[in-house]
Amino acid sequence: MRSLRAWFLRLGGLFNKEQKDRELSAELESHLQMHVEDKLRSGMSAEEARRDAMMKLGGVESTKENYRERRGLPLFETLLQDFRFGARMLRRNPGFTAVAVLTLGLGIGANTAIFSVVNAVLLRRLPYDNGDRLVIVQQQAPRAGFLDVPFSVPELTDYRSQNRSLDALVEYHNMAFILLGRAEPERVRTGVVSWNFFDVFGVKPLMGRSFRSDDEKPGAPAVLLLSYEYWIRSFGGDPTVIDKTFTMNDRLHTVIGVLPPLPQYPDENDVYMPTTACPFRSDPRMIANRQDRMMRAFGLRKPGMRVSQVEADLTGIVRNMQRAYPDIYPAAFDVGTRTVSLRDEMTHEARPTMLVLLGAAGFVLLIACANVANLNLARMVRRERELAVRTALGAGRMRLFRQLLTESFLLALAGGALGLLLAHNCLALLVKFVALFTSRAGEIRIDGTVLLFTLAVAVVTSLISGSAAALHTTATGATDLKEGSAQSTVGMGRRRLRDVLIVSQVAVSFLLLIGAGLMLRSFMNLQHVDPGFQPENVLTMRLNLNFTKYDNDDKRRAFFESLLDKLQGQPGVRSGAATMTFPLEGMQPMRNDFKIEGQTQSQAMPIGDFRVVSPGYFETLRIPISEGRDFTRGDRPGAPDVAIVNRSAARHFWGTQDPIGKRISTDNGKTWIQIVGVVGDVKQYGLNQDAADELYFPLANSPLLNGDLVVKTAVDPLSIARKVIEQIYEIDPNQPAARVRSLEQVRSDSIAAPRLTTDLLALFALLALAIAAAGIGGVMALAVSQRTHEIGVRMAIGALPHEILRMVLRRGLALTAIGVALGLFGALALTRILRGLLFEVTPTDPLTFMAVAAVLVLAALVACYLPARRAARVDPMVALRCE
Amino acid sequence: MSGKADVWQGTLALMVLKTLQTMGPLHGYGIARRIEQTSGDVLSLNYGTLYPALLKLEQEGYIASEWGISDNNRKAKYYRLTRAGHKQLAREARQWEQATGIIERFLCPREEPQ
Repeated sequence: MRSLRAWFLRLGGLFNKEQKDRELSAELESHLQMHVEDKLRSGMSAEEARRDAMMKLGGVESTKENYRERRGLPLFETLLQDFRFGARMLRRNPGFTAVAVLTLGLGIGANTAIFSVVNAVLLRRLPYDNGDRLVIVQQQAPRAGFLDVPFSVPELTDYRSQNRSLDALVEYHNMAFILLGRAEPERVRTGVVSWNFFDVFGVKPLMGRSFRSDDEKPGAPAVLLLSYEYWIRSFGGDPTVIDKTFTMNDRLHTVIGVLPPLPQYPDENDVYMPTTACPFRSDPRMIANRQDRMMRAFGLRKPGMRVSQVEADLTGIVRNMQRAYPDIYPAAFDVGTRTVSLRDEMTHEARPTMLVLLGAAGFVLLIACANVANLNLARMVRRERELAVRTALGAGRMRLFRQLLTESFLLALAGGALGLLLAHNCLALLVKFVALFTSRAGEIRIDGTVLLFTLAVAVVTSLISGSAAALHTTATGATDLKEGSAQSTVGMGRRRLRDVLIVSQVAVSFLLLIGAGLMLRSFMNLQHVDPGFQPENVLTMRLNLNFTKYDNDDKRRAFFESLLDKLQGQPGVRSGAATMTFPLEGMQPMRNDFKIEGQTQSQAMPIGDFRVVSPGYFETLRIPISEGRDFTRGDRPGAPDVAIVNRSAARHFWGTQDPIGKRISTDNGKTWIQIVGVVGDVKQYGLNQDAADELYFPLANSPLLNGDLVVKTAVDPLSIARKVIEQIYEIDPNQPAARVRSLEQVRSDSIAAPRLTTDLLALFALLALAIAAAGIGGVMALAVSQRTHEIGVRMAIGALPHEILRMVLRRGLALTAIGVALGLFGALALTRILRGLLFEVTPTDPLTFMAVAAVLVLAALVACYLPARRAARVDPMVALRCE
Repeated sequence: MSGKADVWQGTLALMVLKTLQTMGPLHGYGIARRIEQTSGDVLSLNYGTLYPALLKLEQEGYIASEWGISDNNRKAKYYRLTRAGHKQLAREARQWEQATGIIERFLCPREEPQ
């Protein structure tokens, strides 16, 4: 308590110093006079008395100094002094300050921005109350190539009743339904969930109530929860939406609540309903069929249970199922389960990219630090006199060191502020970028953790960029005062230090450029991949038919056929087709096993991706038909069953034989389907993915409920989208079309993530290159100006300008070459971590390495040319006279 | 300087407090002289060290100061003991007695009956 009170008084002692000093002087003066009077009385002479009094006091000034130290907080005061002095020094050097703050600001800004992403996506807990206990359960049959098999209702029941490691197991699937009751029929993305889905996640409704167990009882009135985004978008955040009713699937649905603005998982949905409200999920046939798999499953770990224990528990249940139903779970498929924590699942896709970017940003900052350190060293040359004077006046080494560090701290702080500003401005772009990897992107913001990180980075930055100059200056001691020469000679030590800094900048830039170069090469490869189709001038849209209206195959077939007929005559339309999905749409494959006529049963059944398309699909997408024929209107029920396979399937299943005329069966031999054509392979799931074995079936034989319309146009595809939708309305005014896009856009979106990653890495690398080049140029310019005298002498004794030019360039290039060589070793060691992000480029791609080295050397050459030219133009007379 | 003892670290504050208790409000020079006199002029006090010590006691709230007029009509800063100062003096005096008691027993042990 007492010491706290004293501390505050001492803090107060920092203010109103002059009056306090006057008071102290008066007190000491009165002390001395009393002392003198005493001595006079005891018979001393006036002079002797005064001297005695002074001696006894021990010096007026030093007493005052001791007193002052007790009065204020000396450490704090010198710190303030350092700050004020530092700020003054930086103001006096606006050029240096601006360059240093800008450099550090770019470096710190890059790190702050990327860290705000890493913090939100990889470090922070999930925004759900139970986030850390949530797991995703997957069924797998790795030997059959199935890594994420959905669950059937009987399977979910088994897992739910037999497990001992979960507090709850909830299901989820999503559907596109049509919601009526608003101005226009609206296609709503609907999450169908167990009643306790949101309780298990720990999500409480923003308004209204969540689902209750009663809501999931068979025959319960249908209820809806709105997602926050849908509520804002479609209802403008109207609170009276609660208790409103809408028609979906021919039933009235009552809105009971609105969800909070949290990232939705696993999908962004507009509304949520309990499982009993979904007409498919509540179908008794679906409930009874163990092989009708549609749902995903999430579990809430019992406290203390590890993820691996949950997995072991659930795998035991699979073994039980295998014993009970050997036909459904054949041993050959090696059926099992996989359990992952939700958090890992949500972020594993983003992790490698984010870590690479964080590393790249770190490298940029390192280069910025080296550059500012170099600037600092150069500045010290000009400040040598000042430092020498201060040393002569008694400033200790520690004091000077502290002063110089304070200055670089001020610089880093200003850089940090600039960096925060930059990061803040880039945030919206970053969120869009990260959203390509993870649904957690919406959580990105600059919060306390990010601010602390930025401050910490600024402190570390100031230590790195300032200590080289500070240590060096104070260690060598500025002793050249006596020379009194403005042109003091530069110690070898400092020059070598500057060279080391330049070499390291070049080396790190080389690393970054290699990383960016490899990504660029990879992206170019990706862009030049032949997708197997032509995306130009193709319009696509998603059609989810209202199944209560289109409740049998004939109605669905009629809808699609009349739509395609109507489109055929439209101006601007070349051809049109309906399909289950189109390439790069991002749909999960519909992978099934089938039987090939004449092949023995002993092997595992062949597996292929099944697709349903209307006649004209291959023509519309310009997928080449290499053998046989396309489907026709005649391929419909009543006519012989036909199918088309892709080349990969043909090679895989029939080898050198001609597949045309061969027969397959999808119902275990009851009916046979003849292959009538072979088409080209298509990059269905991503430009970087190999083509799968595909089997196409005519739409007329299995009319779709949910499908896509693809239209080849003679004009800009989006320009006729409205006309196409009007054709749909003419057939059915209650039938919405969704996700209207051009196929080119789909293709471009499919590689948006690698493109943006490449852009960001390239940005960092160019930043690094610019900083490093400026660094080389700056150091060479300084070297030239310090060697003006020497150059003058050389020229006086006959050196030619171009020789001087070459001398300077040679030195700059030598440093660059060493840097490139070191960077090469670093790159060979480090680019391996990029392997997962690269497409058809090895991490040690020689072409990239050579190109990057050439770019760096060229940049260094340009940077050195200016100072070299100045050196070559030195007038020997002027140079010699100035000494 | 032989024959004269220096002031021990930490004891100066105690001496100041005791002096102010005995003498009432007093100025710096007075305190210094009084300490020397009390010690029978065995202690040699560097007057310069007195003032930071006084400031410290004041910051800690044990003494207070105000300007006044000395006996021979001179302006001087007078220090007086505060209530907290009285308590602090009692506490420190007690600790001091304890400490010296212990040392005394070490240096001049009484014969224990066998």
